[in-house]
Amino acid sequence: MASAGASVTQLASKLYEHCLNNFPLDQLFYQQDLLGLGIVPKSDIALLLKCTQSLVDQKLFRLLQGKNERLAWKIISREDAEKLQNLSPDESLVYNVIHSTGRSGIWVRAIGNRTGLHKSILDRCLKSLEGKNYIKSVHNVKFPSRKMYMLAGLAPSEDVTGGAWFTDGVLDENFINTVAGYIEYTVSRKSWFEVPSADAQRNKRIKTSDGSAAVKQEPGQKSYIPFPAGFRGYPTVAMLTGAVNESGITPVRLGEESIVQLLDMLCYDNKLVALNNGEMYRSVKNPEAVKQSQSRKSAGEDTGIDDRLVTNGMTEAPCGHCPVFKLCAPGGAVSPENCEYFDPWLEKALGF
Amino acid sequence: MTSQFAGELCTLLVDDNFGELFARIFSTLVRYDRLSLARLKFYSRLSNAQLRHGLAAMIQQHLVFHYTSYDDGVTYYEPNMQSAYYLIRSGKILEFIEERLGKYAATVMSTIMFLGHAQVAYLETIPELKNSDPDVNGPNEDNEEYQEFGEQNGPKEHEADERYQEPKDELNGLNGDQSSIGNLALLHPTLKALAGHGYISRVRDAQFQSYADNVLDSERTLKARPDIKALKGKKLEEAVVEGTLNLLKERLDGDLTRGLVFNGIPRGAKRRHTSASEAPNKKERLDYAAVDEDDVEEENEWSDDEFGEDTVPMESGITVRINYEKLDVALRNRRFLELAERDSSSVTAEVYECLLRRIEYQTMKCRDTTEIPREGEEGEQYSVPISLRAVVEEIDPLLDLAGSIGPMEVSQPISRRGKRPLDDSMNGVGHEGTNGEQSEGNRTYEVDQHLCLLAQPPYNLTSKRIVSGLITWTVEFRHLARKLRHLELERIIEARYGDVALRVVRVLHEKGKLDEKRLQEISLLPFKDLRQVLASMQAGGFVDLQEVPRDAQRQPSRTIFLWFYDPDRVCNSILEDTYKAMSRCLQRLRFERSRLKEFLEKTERSDVKGNEERYLSEAELALLEQWRAKEALLLGEVARLDDMVAVMRDY
Repeated sequence: MASAGASVTQLASKLYEHCLNNFPLDQLFYQQDLLGLGIVPKSDIALLLKCTQSLVDQKLFRLLQGKNERLAWKIISREDAEKLQNLSPDESLVYNVIHSTGRSGIWVRAIGNRTGLHKSILDRCLKSLEGKNYIKSVHNVKFPSRKMYMLAGLAPSEDVTGGAWFTDGVLDENFINTVAGYIEYTVSRKSWFEVPSADAQRNKRIKTSDGSAAVKQEPGQKSYIPFPAGFRGYPTVAMLTGAVNESGITPVRLGEESIVQLLDMLCYDNKLVALNNGEMYRSVKNPEAVKQSQSRKSAGEDTGIDDRLVTNGMTEAPCGHCPVFKLCAPGGAVSPENCEYFDPWLEKALGF
Repeated sequence: MTSQFAGELCTLLVDDNFGELFARIFSTLVRYDRLSLARLKFYSRLSNAQLRHGLAAMIQQHLVFHYTSYDDGVTYYEPNMQSAYYLIRSGKILEFIEERLGKYAATVMSTIMFLGHAQVAYLETIPELKNSDPDVNGPNEDNEEYQEFGEQNGPKEHEADERYQEPKDELNGLNGDQSSIGNLALLHPTLKALAGHGYISRVRDAQFQSYADNVLDSERTLKARPDIKALKGKKLEEAVVEGTLNLLKERLDGDLTRGLVFNGIPRGAKRRHTSASEAPNKKERLDYAAVDEDDVEEENEWSDDEFGEDTVPMESGITVRINYEKLDVALRNRRFLELAERDSSSVTAEVYECLLRRIEYQTMKCRDTTEIPREGEEGEQYSVPISLRAVVEEIDPLLDLAGSIGPMEVSQPISRRGKRPLDDSMNGVGHEGTNGEQSEGNRTYEVDQHLCLLAQPPYNLTSKRIVSGLITWTVEFRHLARKLRHLELERIIEARYGDVALRVVRVLHEKGKLDEKRLQEISLLPFKDLRQVLASMQAGGFVDLQEVPRDAQRQPSRTIFLWFYDPDRVCNSILEDTYKAMSRCLQRLRFERSRLKEFLEKTERSDVKGNEERYLSEAELALLEQWRAKEALLLGEVARLDDMVAVMRDY
């Protein structure tokens, strides 16, 4: 019996060595695969199972359920195995559950459900695992109130962090604005044709000669004209992603999905226009205007009137802003006769 | 448009324009809707004589519908809110007419407006239309215009002159006032121009009855017909519906443009580029001939017609009125143009204006349905296609088309493109001919390029169609009207809730219903800001929340909350608010007037009026100045609000 045990251990370590050397760490082994290696003599399934069980006990193999409910194993590297060997059974149970969820992390209550451990024991396990720096707690944007864990060595997935635009689960507004501003400017530089200065002069003269409104051009100011329809030179997502990553304004490399997200946002802001279903992007304003509005914003001036849509009757009239508009009726407590907004409005508009 | 605030506004307008008696009758009718004379008398507490006089005049002004029932022989009266509302748009319309057809046309228009409707023969006798005071009517430029017209006709000039002579003689017999002669000769061509553009229409009996009465009446007539009586069931229904529509069209139709429109251009349409010398025009004609033989014949016919039609004055028996439907089309086109001007160069906008003008000539009203259809159910409604060549013809030949569009490739040298305009300006008009020759095909291409530019997102102001091998351009009205509507709403939202709200609303509008998390992901806004802005917009009625419970208990924790933005709903509530704001402005104006009542009465005294400088003190003059500014501001504001109403209700 002892010799049989010893041979199993030997065989098991041989099996482990072979797998470790010849396959990547996340290779999934079925029974057939292990028998096919030719290490277990005579393809003895019982012997193989003994070997794998001993490996699982030593935390060198992880038992998994593959397709069609078949048994399967994965190898664990020696360092990790050492870690696991030092854990108590409860802890290793918890560790395995957390490990199984990978980069998406797992909610504490879900660990409880899956392990069937009592809450106090679970808390103790989590505390000790966290103390050993095997796991970490993460913040999920989708469920900000849930306490979630994942292995310490993993980076949280985009679902958890909310993508590149979140820092510690909070939307990073400054970062977004910086990148958005950069993108808008980049796009606008490519979507307007800059008239060479000599030509601009000529344009001016022609426009005034036929009496239509001439574009006022101060010397030194560039003038821009649109490209014809069907122009193919507008920037694409790939170009913009490249430009943003090269610009050095982002500490992390941004993926195309993140840039698309931002581009969509800019489209909703009416700053960019998507052409051909988002294949290319064109800016609404020319580079000069973009620069001006951005510098205005950064200077903190709130009189960004050019930036706004043109006002209409309702936004100008005092009624448009009146907090008690709904109550207003002739002869009522609030009435056009005793309205306190009209006089200041008239004074402001007429300047007396 | 029957609602509390619309009624209030219309009553105010009637009061301001026509005085208390009208207002009393109108407000009674607005409150009780359809009334017989006896009930009207009872509710309005007016005497018989007052009522009769009032109603007769109000019918003349189209403020009241009347209908005599066949069954009991009683006449019922109903308010005509639409036409009461249009009182507010009169200023805008006159300004538009003046810009389009000159001062004199605007005077004619305002006279017709003032009278409600008028017979042409009566218009002939009105002194204002004969009055040749240049300050008021400014007939000079018009005269020039018509003279030019004569010149273009070439050999027929003399006959044309004779035509002018004819009415002159008549008139001389009447009053012998030398100065009035030239002007009355203008009246008929002006009326024709107005009719040709469709700005005035013939008055039909059916127009004095409300639309519902007309429908019932037509149905009754139709059902009495033997061939319809023979039908049964579904067939009968269909036949009646179709027949009613046809009959209505026939009865309400006051179209005067027939025979006054040639090749899609109405009589007397003002050529904007009169500075263009004769030479390029001739050139165009020649090219035209070379390309298409059939068209030449038409051309010739046209010139014959031109002569033949013009010598005949407007039939003096016709009664004309303002055609507000058509004017709405023209005003709507102006809004489209403004939209184009925001993002495009002035040249592109000018090209667009030419296209829109050609389209306007052939568009009778803004839409076929009486109500604006719900969002997403309206379908598409394209304007008549205008051939590219027609647009090219319309455009000022001196307009520099090439200079405002960039090259297809960035690397392409600009000099090749820049060359031609340089020649233009250097050599001046004298060399136009040679220049025109080389660029004829080019020009067409360039115009096409400008129109392509307009067809691009976000507004898609134009769309290209190939009709039997020819390039034509159209405008999709419903889509653009919707854009205008959204723009108005967005402006309000931006002003009230800031640009963050604007982004949120645009996301919701495009994506439909969204929960908070998804909304945040798309709009990239911090939760705090997002919630704040959503809550305040919900309080203001701009966005709404739908609750979808996941189980029967409907616990908040087990419920999905979806935000949505329904532009139709918002639009309707804003429309009501706009009516209300308009009437508040008018009421405030009245209040301001009452504050200054005594002073204003003094300024309106017959001896003071016109001699303010002499009779009023310095302080009083300043006060008058102030008052006028105030009045102008408030009325201007009302006009601005009317722009919004037009977008939300009429376009």
